[in-house]
Amino acid sequence: MSDGQLKAYYVYSPWLRIFHWLMVMSIVVLFFTGLYIGNPFFIGSQGLEPTYAFSERLSMETVRFIHFAAAFILVCAFVLRVYGFVVNKGDRLLPRFWTKQHWAWTMDIMLHYMLLRASHKPYLRNPLARMSYLGVYFLIGIEAITGFTMYVMVDPKSIWGQSFSLVNSLLINEYYVHLIHHYVAWLIIIFAVVHIYMAVRADFMEREGEISSMFSGVKFLAHQPVDLGEIATEEDSLVRYWDNIARDSRPHSG
Amino acid sequence: MQTNNSLWELFQKRGLSRRSFLKTCAMITGLLGLSPLKCTEVVAAAEEKNLPVVIWLHGHECTGCDESFLRSQTPLASDVILNMISVEYDDCLSAAAGEPFEQHFKEIIEKYAGQYILAVEGGVPLAENGIYCMVGGRPFVTVLKEAAAGAAAIVEYGSCSAWGGIQSAKPNPTNTVAVSQIVGGTTIVKVPGCPPIPEVMTAVIMHFALFGQLPPLDTSGRPKQFYGNRIHDTCYRRPFFDSGMFAERFDDAGAKAGWCLYKVGCRGPATYNSCGNMRWWNGLSYPIQSGHGCIGCSNNGFWDNDQFYERLPNIPISATIANADTIGAVATGVAVAGVVAHGALSVVEKYKRQRQSKPEEERRP
Amino acid sequence: MSVKRVVIDPVSRIEGHLRLEIKVDESSGKVEDALSSGTAWRGIELIVQGRDPRDAWAFVQRICGVCTTVHALASLRAVEDALGIEIPKNANYIRNIMAATQNAQDHLIHFYHLHALDWVSPLEALKADPASTVELQNAVLEKYRLPLSGPVGLAFDAYPKEFPKATTLYFKTVQQKVGQIVASGQLGIFASHWWDHQDYKLLAPEVHLMAIAHYLNLLDRQRELVGAHVIFGGKNPHPHYIVGGMPCSISFSDMNASVNSERLAVVDASISLGINLINYFYLPDLLAIGDIYVKKGYTDGGGLAKERVLGYGDFPDEPYNGIANGDFHKKLLLRSNGVVENFGQGLASAVFYNLEGRDYADPAILAEGVEHSWYSYPQGKSNFHPWDGITEAQYTGPKEGNKDSWIYLDEAGKYSWLKTPKWRGKSAEVGPLARYIIIYTKVKKGIIEPTWAEKMVVDQVESVSRVLSLPPENWLLSTVGRSVVRGLEAQLHAYINKYYFAKLVKNIRSGDTAVASTEKWEPSSWPKEAQGVGLHEAPRGALGHWVVIKNAKIANYQAIVPTTWNACPRDSQAGYGAYEASMIDTKVKVADQPLEILKAIHAFDPCVACATH
Ligand code: HEM
Ligand code: HEM
Ligand code: NFV
Ligand code: SF4
Ligand code: SF4
Ligand code: F3S
Ligand SMILES: [Mg+2]
Repeated sequence: MSDGQLKAYYVYSPWLRIFHWLMVMSIVVLFFTGLYIGNPFFIGSQGLEPTYAFSERLSMETVRFIHFAAAFILVCAFVLRVYGFVVNKGDRLLPRFWTKQHWAWTMDIMLHYMLLRASHKPYLRNPLARMSYLGVYFLIGIEAITGFTMYVMVDPKSIWGQSFSLVNSLLINEYYVHLIHHYVAWLIIIFAVVHIYMAVRADFMEREGEISSMFSGVKFLAHQPVDLGEIATEEDSLVRYWDNIARDSRPHSG
Repeated sequence: MQTNNSLWELFQKRGLSRRSFLKTCAMITGLLGLSPLKCTEVVAAAEEKNLPVVIWLHGHECTGCDESFLRSQTPLASDVILNMISVEYDDCLSAAAGEPFEQHFKEIIEKYAGQYILAVEGGVPLAENGIYCMVGGRPFVTVLKEAAAGAAAIVEYGSCSAWGGIQSAKPNPTNTVAVSQIVGGTTIVKVPGCPPIPEVMTAVIMHFALFGQLPPLDTSGRPKQFYGNRIHDTCYRRPFFDSGMFAERFDDAGAKAGWCLYKVGCRGPATYNSCGNMRWWNGLSYPIQSGHGCIGCSNNGFWDNDQFYERLPNIPISATIANADTIGAVATGVAVAGVVAHGALSVVEKYKRQRQSKPEEERRP
Repeated sequence: MSVKRVVIDPVSRIEGHLRLEIKVDESSGKVEDALSSGTAWRGIELIVQGRDPRDAWAFVQRICGVCTTVHALASLRAVEDALGIEIPKNANYIRNIMAATQNAQDHLIHFYHLHALDWVSPLEALKADPASTVELQNAVLEKYRLPLSGPVGLAFDAYPKEFPKATTLYFKTVQQKVGQIVASGQLGIFASHWWDHQDYKLLAPEVHLMAIAHYLNLLDRQRELVGAHVIFGGKNPHPHYIVGGMPCSISFSDMNASVNSERLAVVDASISLGINLINYFYLPDLLAIGDIYVKKGYTDGGGLAKERVLGYGDFPDEPYNGIANGDFHKKLLLRSNGVVENFGQGLASAVFYNLEGRDYADPAILAEGVEHSWYSYPQGKSNFHPWDGITEAQYTGPKEGNKDSWIYLDEAGKYSWLKTPKWRGKSAEVGPLARYIIIYTKVKKGIIEPTWAEKMVVDQVESVSRVLSLPPENWLLSTVGRSVVRGLEAQLHAYINKYYFAKLVKNIRSGDTAVASTEKWEPSSWPKEAQGVGLHEAPRGALGHWVVIKNAKIANYQAIVPTTWNACPRDSQAGYGAYEASMIDTKVKVADQPLEILKAIHAFDPCVACATH
């Protein structure tokens, strides 16, 4: 089936792409504002820095406001992304843990990343990455739950306060909620580092168009992706989509 | 004889006659400034109960809660003890000791079964069958269960009672737990704090005296009117927090100015208590007003939320001092370095392979 | 000739869980043997291990909420001694005020609310004539008020605000209330006591009524004595501190400062109130009762105090740079540090041994044993200095009964959660009486040139001797003496409060507002390994905390607590502890109603949570 030529596959719906970038932006903002909230500092090493911060209009109040605004954006993006998961088959990322194939593919990828295998099978959505996305969704979920627990408890009587106060009891007390929120923030950032590297690597090493795919929705693969069936209703529709566009602009073999 | 320890019963115990009992009642009638006609009522009263009976038990504790209770101004502790409730058993204040005291305990829990309020100060050690706290030659846990069986309600006074307290901090050598982990089946009111604010302690009883019922409780069983908000949300230093004005160190200019104590470890943002609004001594002060961060003394397990002067605890990594931010920064650095190295290696590998084993790649599907 | 074994468990009106067992010869009333057992142990020494030494004060403060603050102070001193931290002047004065406040308040509340019911009965009070009680009240104020005072540098109270009321209606009203309680049949905290014991007849009904009136009155007022704790530490019980000084910054240019002129006014008013309550209520009541008892020959219960008393000294008048290096003891206002043996034989035969500086680091001088305690030491070791101290529980159960249902404890084996502290291998009594004996002896024998406070100690003892018309040895070394001295000490501490308040204000006036020294706040400035000792004279006696710090964490922590000294189990080498010795030295009239034992033990103001920790 291989013809040595790059073939274009349309993977990501605009829906997914919009919310991916919204999530990226909000997480970056949340992380930096969060760090500031955890330890309000300002350029300078000693003394009464935050006071100067205040005079520079970077007060705790402002930073917390930005953090909370970003938090709402993140949560909305997150929810809408999950909605996309339901309606667009292409947006599905849930790894198929229950299949033997999933684990075989994961092994394939891992061996590749451990530099023990020169290349891996062609995937539209690499199973290892899919697991890591599930993981990071989980982390984002923890951040949202712990974050909102701290956020809504200004009014413990409210319906939100009453619901989230259970989180406080569950995690012993709210101090642990704060700790978990803080620790998990770092885990997300560490994910991001590796994640960006993988994307860049895929682009440069395998010329899969990973980065641009998050903008355009399209990935380029030389071979037919093995997981095509999981992602798309029928492979042709994917290819055809590209073909329709490409027919006019460049010659196409296959 | 329907009541225990009524004056009549006392007379009986002492082998005194009904006649002398009636004479004493007449004397009391006079003392109370009542007309002699009221004498029969006094006699009846002398055989009857009227105040809610309270039994106050001490487990693994420091008696700071008892002391705090006594410091209440409104209502005054004396008014509570003498006029709102009848504290029939409290080894901190009761006159009696030893055998007659234990006997009294047995009589009270029988006589008032299902009616008395059980106040407990202190946690319940369970290790080795509870022998780490013995009362009258029996494990406290046994006494507690006995008293709890007939209690109309249980009040857990203090963080020891409500959460386990200081003795349950790691490594919890006596395996101490909260009262509610041992007994149940009845309303349990948690009044945490180490100790709780005096007026909060008495107010639970005041509420009962005023409205004839226990105060409304939150999802953790604490009276909402006293544990409804975080100290941080009621703290008089909050404007400084919002404005980003912090004491950086104790006794620095910010500390003198009374700025927010967040950066010296204040646990106010995670602590539910009335310190910010009510304060101690009817508004006189609270730890934050006196310049020290809150240590979260009303929170479950707060002792293990140490160190108290850091917002992020140090994470024990052999002989270095590091918190989540330092570790996070290092880990992120390592991750960056790792991916860069991995990238470089991958490139080298790929280059090598491309030169030497092109055919292999061809073989793949 | 039957010897009866009587158990008192729980002992009420104390802090903690105490069990007493006595063997009384029913015909003579002689106590042949007595056993004192602390029946609860929490393991706080183990809980602080591995934690940040700057947090230790908060943990160990919870050893006790009755003598709240004292363990925090001892802990801070131990950590500061280890790390070489010298606190600023203001912090030193404020901590002294915290300590003196605690002593005065603790003593007062002890007398009225934990001890008085051993002497007076609400039932007897019902028999009193309110008008005669007025006369009695006036006579008592005339005769028993000790006209002594310490230096009052700043006196803002225009006149003493707090007098006992002495009107017929007042006593009548109180009597009515007591009558109501009795009539209601709900005696509450007064229920089921040995009220028919003959000793309640020793005092006239009017004394009972007066004392019960004050019991109620001071139940309402005692809270106001601790104003200093609430201002400087934010709360009471368990005020807050920091290593290096105090958290309560002083400023007169900021509206939110923890300490400003208005806050100082609260402290001043509270201190003045303390002086008045002690001078017009506590001491006169105490001396009036004590006088009657002593006149009727009740001078037993002296026990170990006759043989050996011990103290560490307290109130560093100025900041010091260490304890184990001896500087602390050079600066003290009350040099009750040392041991006096044989005071029972009279001042002339009393022998004084000094105790300062390196002595606190010397295993030959201070150690603890566990021969009769529910702990185990490694094979072959019978004593440990607290820096090397080990707390390892080893419960063995009673002599009769089961492990979890006791009949009698085992005096031949292990029977208490208290260790046995030893000075040069011997037991010693600590507490107000010990401090007074030590200072009295040191001054009288010319060992020290007295400070104003030490002079006041001697004056107090001598004026009480005049009131009682007995030489000190004859009344001091008894149950009554123990309680009377506690009252004297309350008075002394009330003035020490005033004294340090004036010093604090004077120092602030000189422009110094520092309350904390933070150069050594960061663990990076600490040595890799350090050890320190923190000493304090707590209300119940000499308190020491010993800390070992390794890599910025607590590697070992041991406390030897006043009630551990006094209520400890016997030891084949050290002898009886003070409780056991005092019980053996007390006559019991009715074996089944050992009121005298209760009184004798209450006179120590037991704190068993402290003792076992
Ligand atoms: C998803 C919804 C989120 C909500 C509702 C939320 C909310 C909060 C709240 C209420 C606080 C405490 C602020 C305060 O005490 O004033 C906080 C702190 C913080 N947040 Fe978030 N957050 C969210 C997500 C995130 C994410 C995704 C990150 C990082 C990737 C993050 C990082 C932080 C950090 C580092 C802190 C400081 C923690 C501390 O020391 O208290 N947050 N956040
Ligand atoms: C250069 C920047 C980035 C590129 C090119 C990029 C690209 C991608 C791609 C291609 C996927 C695959 C989606 C899939 O297979 O389902 C993805 C998923 C994801 N990325 Fe990124 N990403 C970037 C930065 C980030 C950052 C900074 C974060 C936040 C920490 C982030 C969070 C996520 C998450 C949570 C997913 C999985 C969710 C999903 O499938 O929508 N990304 N990204
Ligand atoms: N013993 C004892 Fe304490 C005192 N005073 C402490 O050191 O009581 Ni709780
Ligand atoms: S909660 Fe705190 S104050 Fe109350 S008994 Fe426990 S340790 Fe003491
Ligand atoms: S002092 Fe503490 S409770 Fe008050 S505003 Fe600051 S962080 Fe919040
Ligand atoms: S330490 Fe406790 S007393 Fe209040 S301010 Fe914090 S809850
Ligand atoms: Mg000890």
